[in-house]
Amino acid sequence: MANVVTSKQGPANRARSRWRIPFNVALILPAQLTVLSVVIVPTVVVIWLAFTDWQPTQALAWYRAEIIGFWNFYDLWYDERFINAVLRTFVVVAICVFAELLLALGLALLFLDEWPWRKLALSLIVLPMMIIPVDAANAFFMIFNEHGPINHVISLVLGRPFEFSWLSHPTWAMLPIMLCDIWQWTPLMFLLVLTGLMGLPQNQMRAATMLGASPVRIFVSLVLPLLTPVIGIAVLIRAIETFKIFDAVYILTRGQPGGATETISMYMYNGAFVYFRMGYIAAAALVVLILVVVTCLALAKPLQARG
Amino acid sequence: MTSPGYLITGLKRTAVVVAVFISFFPIFWLVSTAFKPYEQWASWPPVWITEQPTLQNFRIVFFPDAAREFAGAQSGSLDYKVSASAWKAFADSAIISSLATFFSVTFGTLAAYSISRFGTGGPSFPFQFLTVRMMPPIAVVVPVVALFSILRLADTYAGMVIAYTAFTLPFSIWMIRSFIDDLPEELEGAAMIYGASRARAFLTVTLPLIKGGVLATALFIFILNWSEFLFALVLTSGKIVTVTLQVANYVSASSGKLYGVQAAMGTVSTIPVILFGYLIQGHIVRGLTLGAIKR
Repeated sequence: MANVVTSKQGPANRARSRWRIPFNVALILPAQLTVLSVVIVPTVVVIWLAFTDWQPTQALAWYRAEIIGFWNFYDLWYDERFINAVLRTFVVVAICVFAELLLALGLALLFLDEWPWRKLALSLIVLPMMIIPVDAANAFFMIFNEHGPINHVISLVLGRPFEFSWLSHPTWAMLPIMLCDIWQWTPLMFLLVLTGLMGLPQNQMRAATMLGASPVRIFVSLVLPLLTPVIGIAVLIRAIETFKIFDAVYILTRGQPGGATETISMYMYNGAFVYFRMGYIAAAALVVLILVVVTCLALAKPLQARG
Repeated sequence: MTSPGYLITGLKRTAVVVAVFISFFPIFWLVSTAFKPYEQWASWPPVWITEQPTLQNFRIVFFPDAAREFAGAQSGSLDYKVSASAWKAFADSAIISSLATFFSVTFGTLAAYSISRFGTGGPSFPFQFLTVRMMPPIAVVVPVVALFSILRLADTYAGMVIAYTAFTLPFSIWMIRSFIDDLPEELEGAAMIYGASRARAFLTVTLPLIKGGVLATALFIFILNWSEFLFALVLTSGKIVTVTLQVANYVSASSGKLYGVQAAMGTVSTIPVILFGYLIQGHIVRGLTLGAIKR
């Protein structure tokens, strides 16, 4: 500290400080380096791998793998399993996020006024999102078992034995997967919507009620527009997370039977770690990354415009 | 109150009861199955609440002797994964999650302070950390496995800690930043007028004021690390076992017929996460929206 006071050492100090990292940049460095090493560098490596035919079973190091140009991308274009996984993922995202939003809106309306046990009910309803996703999937694995409670209830209703094996049916197996996601993440959407609803300007609502607007009218033309920013954030976050869906699929079906329940993540896991086609899956990863970046850029503009 | 009013209130309460029941049911089934004896794991009709509760499933999870005895009684129809004790999984998860949480929160606090107080890198700079959260982790898994194999980080604690730190950093940075943004900068300014350096003002003024927020962030990050599955699955090959991997092992062992054991493991592994979750209930929305929505 003393050398700052004496003016003689001033210029020398400034010259040295040119080689020093500024304080604020030094604070960022550890975080930035970690992200670089695990995210940015691998992204560069994935671009290289996407143009190779690397398969770890060939005992060839990945940096010496044979370059095959654009063949991986050509194959992906005609890979029905990949295309279907991509489309299936978008359908899953649409259904899950929409269902979560509807359920959350309905639930939030129930929790607007004060009533006894409200706090306890709230704590119980948010329980699903506190659970490890793998365990949630584990629970759904047992519930949708041939001898599980779902089939038991259905057979009680039908009055005859019902032993349908949900998880090995090519179409119906998607149901437990999606229900698992909806069950686990509706609470988050619910908390977000409830936070938004509680923060609405009460005097506007009272004015509308005094002017004789019906509850439905108030909801459609006052509450929904005011809630749009919160709903926007909630839908965006859930859409991003659901797009990555993996844990539930892995535990419940692993993409079986015959890839009929594969989402993008499950398809890529199977390709890379079951069939060991690393180069090919790297190309798929590159395609998915580009897809995500384009979607994010398209979404970022209207979001930024709204602030 | 008129009778339609009562009717609507009654319907609302019924809806709440149904919602609570649905929220609770899968967890009830998990816990209930964990106490069922072997014969009732998958009997038809299913047993909803067993009349002969047993701790055998928990013993199989935690004591290799009980697991071997059980596997022997089933005449070898269960594979080796059952006999691996879950203690190792809990220890590994605790080590990796704690270390990764420590690094993530420390690096995150430093970066958040720099972004919040100096505006380092301009207004759009912090968004680059969000891209980590947006892209599917499976997209970088293949190159990370390739890199880790030449750096000898595959199947090591160090490798897992690095991966977990990187993937929770966006949460740390954005969450802690929202806490620092809530504090007036003048507080540090006052300390600096009295001769404190930037670092000292941060340590003695800012940090004590946001320590509740930092602690909440740490618990939140710990939950994320403890629950992580995909990286644990691809970055390990037997030397390291996390709790989520152990659950998956039980599910896949003997084509998923170990209902009681996997339910016992599922019940025990999720308890710490539920406890932490309720401790930071007020902050969980802030966490999962990366500080965008505060409560």
